[in-house]
Amino acid sequence: MAALKPPAAERRRPALLTGLVAAQALAAVFFAADAATDLLNAPWTPHTLIEAFVALALGAGVVIGAVELRAALERLRAQETALAAARGALSTVVAAQFRDWALTPAETDVAWLALKGLDVAEIAALRGSAQGTVRAQLARVYAKAGVSGRAQFAALFVEELLAQGVPEADGAHEASRRQA
Amino acid sequence: MRPADTPPAKAVGGDPHPPVLWDPVVRLTHWTIAVAIVVNYALTEDGGTTHVWVGYLALAILVLRLVWGFVGPAEARFAAFPPAPRAALAHLADLAAGRPGRYRSHNPAGALMAYALWAMLAVVIATGILMTAGGPGDEALMRAAVERDDWSILTGATPWVGDAAAEVLEEVHEVAANLLLLLAALHIAGVAVESRAMRTNLVRAMLPWRR
Repeated sequence: MAALKPPAAERRRPALLTGLVAAQALAAVFFAADAATDLLNAPWTPHTLIEAFVALALGAGVVIGAVELRAALERLRAQETALAAARGALSTVVAAQFRDWALTPAETDVAWLALKGLDVAEIAALRGSAQGTVRAQLARVYAKAGVSGRAQFAALFVEELLAQGVPEADGAHEASRRQA
Repeated sequence: MRPADTPPAKAVGGDPHPPVLWDPVVRLTHWTIAVAIVVNYALTEDGGTTHVWVGYLALAILVLRLVWGFVGPAEARFAAFPPAPRAALAHLADLAAGRPGRYRSHNPAGALMAYALWAMLAVVIATGILMTAGGPGDEALMRAAVERDDWSILTGATPWVGDAAAEVLEEVHEVAANLLLLLAALHIAGVAVESRAMRTNLVRAMLPWRR
C-alpha cells in the first residue's frame, strides 16, 4: 500500500530552494568581490556605487532566500509530525473503540487486519484459520460496530478522525503561518 | 514496535539525539567545501585560475553556511552547538570511557572541530584573496595597472601588498592549507570513532542524495 506523505512538490521544494540559495550565494560573493575591487580602484563614481548597491541586494537575497528555505523545511517537518501524531492517535482511538465494542481477542485481531485492508482470504491465511471462520468473525465485528460492511467499518474511523479535527497537513501549516 | 531504549526517528521531545538527516543546506555546504579542499589541494595548479575560482566558490559556500548558522533550523544554528572547549574535553573523556552522551546537534568535540575547520578555511581563503589582489577575474585590474605604468603586477608582486608581505601571505596560506587538511583527517577519524561508540552510522545523516 502506498504510504501517506506530504505532497511531492512540497518534498522537492527544499532541494530546489537549496540550489537556488547556493547559486545566489555564489553570485553575491563573485559580484561583491568584483565590486570591492572597483570600489578600491575608483571609489564614489556612479558605476561603483551601483555595483555596491547590487552587491548588497544580492546579499540580502541570500539571507531572505535562506529564511524562506528554513520556513519550507519547517512546514515539511510540521506535516510529518502531524502525520505521525495522527497515526498514533488513530490507533489509540481504534483500540479504545474495539474495547468499547467488547470484541473478543480473535475478533480484535481480525478487525485490525480488515482495517489494514487485508481481504478474507489473506486474513485466513495469516491466522491459519478457515475463510468461513474469518467471515463469521468479521460479521460479528460489523454487528457489534453497527455497520453493514467493511467500507462502512473503515469509514467510521476516518470520519472520527475528521470530525475530531486532527489537523489536516495543509490546514496545519496555513494556521502556523498565520500565527507567525 | 520500537524498543523503548532506541530514540524515536524524529525528534518529538524525549532524549536528544543527532539529526537523522541534516538539512539540505548543511549537506550541500559540507560536501562542496570537502570537494573544494581536495580539488585545490591535489588537483589544481597552485595560484592558477581554476585554483582561484574554486577558492571563491568555497568562500561563497562558507558564507552561506555561516548565514545558515543564524537563520537555519534549530540543529544547524550556532546556538545549538556553541564552542565549549571544556564540554568538548568532557565529551572526549566520556567517549574514551565508552559512554558518549547524545546531543541534538554536533557533540561538543564535533562542534569545536567545525569551528576550527571554518576558521582555518577562512584563513586560507582570506590569504588567497589577498594574494590574488581581489576578484576572480583580475585581468582588467592587471590591464589598468599596466596602463598606470605599474608593471609590478606582472612580475609577481601583488598591487595590494608589498613583496615581503606577499611572501608571508603565501607562507600562511600554505601552512593553513596543510592544517586544514590535518583537521579534515581528524574530523573523519572523529566521525568514525563516534559512529562506533554510538552504534549509529553518522555519515548516513550527511549523505547528499537522501531525502
